Amino acid sequence: MRTLLRKFGFYVLTAWVAISLNFLIPRIMPGDPADNLINQFHGKLSPSAVKALRVLFGQSDTSLWQQYLNYWHSVFTGDFGISYAYYPSSVGTVIGQSMYWTLILITSCTVIGFVVGTGLGMLAGWKRGSWVDSLVPVTTFLSSIPYFWFAIIIVLVFAITLNWFPLSGGYSVDQTIGFNSGFIASALYYAVLPAVTIVITSLGGWLIGMRNMMVTTLSEDYVRLAEAKGLSRRRIMYSYAARNAMLPSLSGFAMSLGFVIGGSIVTEVVFNYPGLGTVLFKAAQAADYPLMSAIFLLITILVLVANLLADIAYAFLDPRTRES
Amino acid sequence: MAIRSAALAEAETTADLVDGPSRLWRRLLHSPLTCAGLIVTLVFLVLAVIGPWIAPYDPSTVSNSATAAPSFAHWLGTTQNGQDVFSQMLYGARASMLVGFGSAVVTTVLSVLVGVTAGYLGGTGDELLSLLANVFLVLPSLPLTIILAAYLPHSGSLGVILVISVTGWAWGARVLRAQTLSLRKRDFVEAARATGEKTSRIIRKDILPNQVAVIAASFLGTVTAAILTQASLAFLGLTDVTQWSWGTILYWAQVSSALLTGAWWWFIPAGLAIALVGTALSLVNFGIDEFINPRLRQAGIGTKKAQRAQVRRRWTRRVKYRRPTGARPATVPFTVDSTDVVLDVRNLRVEYVNGTARTPAVNDVSFTLRRGEVLGIAGESGSGKSTLAYAITRLHKPPAEISQGEIVYTGPDGSAVDVLSMPDEQLRGFRWEELSIVFQSAMHALNPIMRVGEQIEDVIRAHRPGLSVQQRAARIVELLGIVGIPADRAGSYPHELSGGMRQRAMIAIGLALDPEIIVMDEPTTALDVVIQRQIVEKIMELKDKLGFSVIFITHDLSLLIELSDTIAVMYGGKIVEMAAADDFYQRPRHPYSRGLLASFPTLGGPKRELTGIVGSPPDLRRLPTGCSFRPRCPVAFDDCSTVEPALYQLHAPDSGPSEAACLLYAEGAQQELAMGEVK
Repeated sequence: MRTLLRKFGFYVLTAWVAISLNFLIPRIMPGDPADNLINQFHGKLSPSAVKALRVLFGQSDTSLWQQYLNYWHSVFTGDFGISYAYYPSSVGTVIGQSMYWTLILITSCTVIGFVVGTGLGMLAGWKRGSWVDSLVPVTTFLSSIPYFWFAIIIVLVFAITLNWFPLSGGYSVDQTIGFNSGFIASALYYAVLPAVTIVITSLGGWLIGMRNMMVTTLSEDYVRLAEAKGLSRRRIMYSYAARNAMLPSLSGFAMSLGFVIGGSIVTEVVFNYPGLGTVLFKAAQAADYPLMSAIFLLITILVLVANLLADIAYAFLDPRTRES
Repeated sequence: MAIRSAALAEAETTADLVDGPSRLWRRLLHSPLTCAGLIVTLVFLVLAVIGPWIAPYDPSTVSNSATAAPSFAHWLGTTQNGQDVFSQMLYGARASMLVGFGSAVVTTVLSVLVGVTAGYLGGTGDELLSLLANVFLVLPSLPLTIILAAYLPHSGSLGVILVISVTGWAWGARVLRAQTLSLRKRDFVEAARATGEKTSRIIRKDILPNQVAVIAASFLGTVTAAILTQASLAFLGLTDVTQWSWGTILYWAQVSSALLTGAWWWFIPAGLAIALVGTALSLVNFGIDEFINPRLRQAGIGTKKAQRAQVRRRWTRRVKYRRPTGARPATVPFTVDSTDVVLDVRNLRVEYVNGTARTPAVNDVSFTLRRGEVLGIAGESGSGKSTLAYAITRLHKPPAEISQGEIVYTGPDGSAVDVLSMPDEQLRGFRWEELSIVFQSAMHALNPIMRVGEQIEDVIRAHRPGLSVQQRAARIVELLGIVGIPADRAGSYPHELSGGMRQRAMIAIGLALDPEIIVMDEPTTALDVVIQRQIVEKIMELKDKLGFSVIFITHDLSLLIELSDTIAVMYGGKIVEMAAADDFYQRPRHPYSRGLLASFPTLGGPKRELTGIVGSPPDLRRLPTGCSFRPRCPVAFDDCSTVEPALYQLHAPDSGPSEAACLLYAEGAQQELAMGEVK
């Protein structure tokens, strides 16, 4: 419990750093993003929008500390002002519409990628030196391919040539968004290609990590003891080797998750998927700083939550971490 | 190398990090995959350097042949504007590789600075720096990179390099910090510190050379990540799209819907190049991984090769092994004259196979274990005693292979079976039911994430599927009681027990099925003397009560003399002397045994002058001709270098029968025996 509390404290601290970084970046970067934006709109912005922009990106008339406090106020109220790429929607609305797409897509892809990759890695390590192990160069190649490049080829083959799946988007336009079977079926159908892209290209990372740990674990004395005990192969592989071997994968979750999320953002753009990645891309193109910083904050928080969950799972699987 | 990795597999494995860069190179060039990776990387690096000079066209020059397929004039075809794709690829290689390697250099410098400083300084500085690294590690880097890049549009390669380095240094720093921390505690660093060497010099001379492999791995990983990141940014149009890089090519191809219009030659090469460089670098990294962690070189135990346990199959003696049905017969105390053999090992030979070279670690070893007997096997490290222990249960791993011999087990009902010819399923039933093992270090032999009770329960469940949950629980309590562990400790994890308690838990697991034989491989070596005594007394007490036979393996001869009925001494993979423990102590026959006995004080008995054995244990790959102890033997004579001594039967009038492999006892040399003993 103490360990978990400490972990939680660490994530709170990280969140604070991320949020402060978000505050600092526009202020230390060359140029004045707020002025740029205001100029772009040639005085068509409402005074309240201008004020929100100033809070987020620097006011020339108040002290840095005061700006920092105002910034925190807007973080807690979720008031990130108006989006410029999606003018006149507010940043909150834009994010609200897109975040669930990304959340569901990435969560399921991460889980599937982890399970399949770790499972294959377990087999590859267990049968190191046999044909299963030759999967490793193949998946290494797959994970070295740029996500977006692979995505475009997948689109060409399965959406354009074979016409099995839709070309882009998140759901069929003739469906209304909501909790109805037609929409859900359509959303699932549209998610297949992006999901396959992310899973296939992220698999290699999980696989090689698990395989190496599995091979290392197999020469541990406790695995040899399990063999000496005459336990079934299945029992040795799962309860003795794999359960120990997967612990580092879980503790290295942060790093892998970063890659998966980074890759999925670009993948979303290729599929024009209505998630955060596409929105972030549009925001970056339109220099929509309020939207960008809000998305960065949101993604950071999501990554932190995912890591906290991984840590809880870790504590659950490894009794040694449960006490200090 | 085979012996080396085999020794690592047999003994406690420690990563051999204290090796210089030259060994790393040799190791890398050894593996074909790693070599391929190195070559591909080099080819791309060379292309990146000379690309612009050998490019046939200017990459931006527009021509009339728009979207032309690959031809002799345009190897990779042309773009929509008639630009030569091959030239763009060559120019692009420079930008992509520059960003890749440039970011890796900056990132690695940052990682090394932070990691080594944190690890070496320790204390508050370390905590703050590690915290910083951990925070940066969790921050999602690509979104951050995208945002930073959006603030720095058209900043060129340098801006991208900086952005990638700022977001990517944390991983390497964390790994290097952990490395430095463990290196700092090594003897040679401590020694350098004690002699008052400058910190900067210690770091340069002692710490960094030992981290070359780790630094290289993190460097190459960053190259791949940076090339991918740069490609993503360029593809999204967030870098200067007029500067040619592989990502920019993909950007223009995508903007012009190259694939939709069928211009695959425009789109495919850049992606493939990125994937190729990434794969090549990963392959080199795998080589480095195997260098850092030698265990990665072993075959998995799930392979057919390993499953067969590397026994040369002979099906001559197929007596079916049957599980014992009733309770075991009442035990008779062991006497020296007993002929009730429970395990008969005949001419066992275990070899480490490395290509065509075969190195025997156990060479033509024969012995018998009688019911209720304690057989002590003594020997220096490298004498083959642990390999022997594993071979008896077929737990040895490739590259070890049993090439000859038989191991016949005789059950209490008189049925005999050859362990080496058992099929897998039968072997599984035999293991633990008839023969269990207590490992050297309970700390490592107990599964760290499984409760002690569960580790006893699973062996019962595997072998006695008929027992109910309650019966199993009762048996666990009974077993823990036998070894003196409170019953409520069944729910504890190994790390929650003390060292002595862990070793007793190991013994409880060993007793779970009431086996006929327990092999104990240095069961007390890792414990302090007081606990050692408790454990040994417990083992002897249990042996008398339960009547199992013991093969006790250790280098601690005084302990062995005390508890064994019979002692076998191993040297260079062979048994060189075997005798009843008392006779052995009173009258060691082999010069090596005499040396061993003279090299430590015994607990009781008269004072003696302690002498060691000169020289070091033999290299099994290059055993001397004749007697392998000859180079260290104080009484060696001419024949010893040509004649390999067999194990001669000795019958002295004042002691029991014994055997010794020394030419002193060869037929016709019995007179010299007397002389030898006078010495």
